[in-house]
Amino acid sequence: MTLNEIRDKILHIADQTIKYARDLNIPAAEAYVYNLSNTNLTDNKGKIDSRDGLIQGIGLRVAIGKQVGFASCTGFEKETIKSTLKHAHSIANVSPKNPMFNGFVAGTNVAKEGILDPEILQLDSDSMIETCNLMSQEIDLSDRRLVSISYGVNFSYGGYAVATTEGCLASSLVTTYAANSFSVVTEAGDRKTAGDFVQGREIKPVEGISSNGLKKALNSLGSKAFGGSEVLPTVWEPRESAAFLAFSFINCVSGSSYVEKSNPWGDKLDQQVAVKELTLIDDGQNPESEAGRAIDTEGSPKQTTTVIDNGILKTFLFDKMFGEAADKATTGNASRGGFFGGIPYENVPNVEPNKLLIKEVGKNLDQQISEINKGILLTGTPIGLFTSNQITGDFGITTNDAFLIEKGEVVHPLKNISIAGNYFETLNDIRTIGSDREVSGWPIDAPAITYNKHTISD
Amino acid sequence: MENGNILDLLHKAVEKGENLGVNFIEARYDDLNLTTINYTNEIIKQSSSLSRKGIGIMAYYQGTPGYSYTPELTLEGVKEATIRAAKLAKSTDSRNKIKLDFDSIPTIKEKIEVKVKKHPKDFEFADKLDMLKRGVTAVKEQLEVTTTIGLYGEIYGEKYLVNSEGTELYWVPLMVDIRMGGVVISEGKQSQGFTGWGASTGLEFFEEKETTPEITGTNAGTYCKEQLEAVAAPSGKTKTLVSPQMGGVVVHESFGHLSEADFVVTGQSPIADRVGEELGSEHVTIIDEGVSPYGGLYLPYDDQGIKTGRTVLLEKGILKGYLHNRGTAKKMNSELTGNSRAINFMFNPIVRMKNTYFEKGDLTFEEAVEHVNTGVYAVDMSGGQVGLDGNFMFNCSRGYLIENGEVTKPIKNTALSGNILELLKYVEGGTKEVTIKTGYFGGCGKGGQGGLPVGFGGPDMIMDKVLVGGAQ
Repeated sequence: MTLNEIRDKILHIADQTIKYARDLNIPAAEAYVYNLSNTNLTDNKGKIDSRDGLIQGIGLRVAIGKQVGFASCTGFEKETIKSTLKHAHSIANVSPKNPMFNGFVAGTNVAKEGILDPEILQLDSDSMIETCNLMSQEIDLSDRRLVSISYGVNFSYGGYAVATTEGCLASSLVTTYAANSFSVVTEAGDRKTAGDFVQGREIKPVEGISSNGLKKALNSLGSKAFGGSEVLPTVWEPRESAAFLAFSFINCVSGSSYVEKSNPWGDKLDQQVAVKELTLIDDGQNPESEAGRAIDTEGSPKQTTTVIDNGILKTFLFDKMFGEAADKATTGNASRGGFFGGIPYENVPNVEPNKLLIKEVGKNLDQQISEINKGILLTGTPIGLFTSNQITGDFGITTNDAFLIEKGEVVHPLKNISIAGNYFETLNDIRTIGSDREVSGWPIDAPAITYNKHTISD
Repeated sequence: MENGNILDLLHKAVEKGENLGVNFIEARYDDLNLTTINYTNEIIKQSSSLSRKGIGIMAYYQGTPGYSYTPELTLEGVKEATIRAAKLAKSTDSRNKIKLDFDSIPTIKEKIEVKVKKHPKDFEFADKLDMLKRGVTAVKEQLEVTTTIGLYGEIYGEKYLVNSEGTELYWVPLMVDIRMGGVVISEGKQSQGFTGWGASTGLEFFEEKETTPEITGTNAGTYCKEQLEAVAAPSGKTKTLVSPQMGGVVVHESFGHLSEADFVVTGQSPIADRVGEELGSEHVTIIDEGVSPYGGLYLPYDDQGIKTGRTVLLEKGILKGYLHNRGTAKKMNSELTGNSRAINFMFNPIVRMKNTYFEKGDLTFEEAVEHVNTGVYAVDMSGGQVGLDGNFMFNCSRGYLIENGEVTKPIKNTALSGNILELLKYVEGGTKEVTIKTGYFGGCGKGGQGGLPVGFGGPDMIMDKVLVGGAQ
């Protein structure tokens, strides 16, 4: 099946579903039709696992005035769709009114679609094995410090369509490709890990992934204890910088938590929430990003939104319902499943960033390190980022991937340390925002960033 | 779909796969129904009823697996999935260096039904919403909150397995869960309290003394209120009393995952090839169990059709074994442990935990607190992460200071971290009562399969040298 055929199929199913809803005298309905072919292969030190299949189903919202019900089903079988519609209708019937709900997206209005790579449809298990062979050719397995190395390849294609009784009928397709490598090394009782990856909407070259990851892990061997507890500057590599900020920003920029009064920035609109060098943009229109789509998951056109402008909070991100509850328009941020996973068609829309981007400013990572008298360089994703307190901003994380910086030089790797602080305070105490933003696997891409003070302990 | 038709489809898949030249086929059918109600600020933020139905085919060719799945419950759909699974297994075999074939076991033909007093399918949506309303009322009785949260979750359905050995297995998973929470953001004050659990039972679970919506809501409100007056946790290595739920998460996340044999056969686990070694103090015995006398998750069989048992991972500090699927058990010449699990038909079974817990000790709670004397009582957590090197970090969302042998003031959110292989050596005892917790919300994540229901617990455990991380 070609991409165009997939688009025709999901639009047809969505349109048919709304017709079924009308046949069942359902007053208002929304069909979210999802169809994604996914193939995945992992090679963990020579242990191969492979999986493919079609993730296919429909999420159905039904409204009776302000009473809303949701049900979903796997597959596109006609009778199953009809019974799921009836089920969603019955839930709406017994649900209390949601004062925020004012109907589904009306009319069809689409933004720019991202890149589609038809070559991805031609990939199969043979080509994934070939990719793993390419990645593994870079590795010297005779290095006795290498405990294990793993490789992964994933590709997918498909998309979703949204139809509503209010006249919306639109779709968005995607092709994705990702490859990664992860190394575990050890020497004299010291055990370190590191990896690297490529990802995008097109097939990407994989050269350098495995050797870069292994080199990074090997460079981390020979770690020494930090010894005590001290307040120091921290310098974060671009991808780790993104990881550090992701969890906090997801809640702080959310229009749903703003409306629900659980957003710690709820009273900070047009106020300074970060240093003036920090500008944060939500980009739903980057054609190279998986988030660059024609519509969001309730049928509104995606867009690009400046959230923080020179340190000032300018807006929150909204879907239709939460936008209207705040007297704002949707920003095209209705997401289903979201970053933390979940099958999209099994979820109602929720507000999440498309892809947050921190605007690049001045100095690259090396320049930032050179300006530190004593501090810590973070080179891997710390453990515990996602358990930080989103309300108070307090965080306490731990990492085995850090180096001591002294007099502008990286001195030696460190054994496990903990890093503690408060997100809201540290955003106003950034020393440097870098010039070297990288694509990350997180909902945010960031350059290297230096913070003035975090508590370091071991 | 009728039971006979499902079994017929699964047998056709097995037959088709064997004709394609693979050595073994497992064909699974899931028909799961999941209901979730998110009642935030007394509005239904999300209510969903999900039907998750499909077939997954695992093909093994010379010890190399290939998995394919389909939502199309037709002979054509199932045959296509079988062809794809067989192709994956065969075409990737040339690169596969760790062949995990397995020995034949006797055919199993079993149908397991669970009898409960109040099966959730027999109750209306409004009945479940009413429980959340009662819980929210209880939260609000404790303090004036900015946000109230009530979550209800249930899962039930049917699972079938047919394989090349002629096994026909049918069983019915079941789980219900209620969580309540309160958030305060006001005049510079910020706090939150969140609690609740689930059970592999019917709705009668919410009539038991400690788990009514009113009690859960009262607890959430109380914990939120406590946080408003909480003091900073001490910073540095601290003697800590960890509750059953906190210790259970530690043992699951940090030790349990390291004992999963798929990490062991690849050498990625730091406890690979260390059976017989002393990894913990004499006070540490760690169990993984499918059906436990202490409650928790009810899991009679895994997704390869292996009856779950009681696996001793660590006994008085000595490593006794690992958690296996059929392939890793043969590879490591071990007993079958029934730990091959998949979150749904879209995933292949991988090695996962069941109910993982510390065995009981011989102290009373008062004796344990007195033993700690000065330190922290870590009661509840809001997530955690571990590394393959044994390092862990958990966020203690509810805890108290222990001063002069008594539990005193609540502490602010703080991180507890360390390396499990170091920490187990500093376990100094446990109390006499074991509790195992489970639930619909949360669950275990591995290999892209998030939210798998598991059980975890233990007694209150005394651990020395836990790194408590607070900001200066």
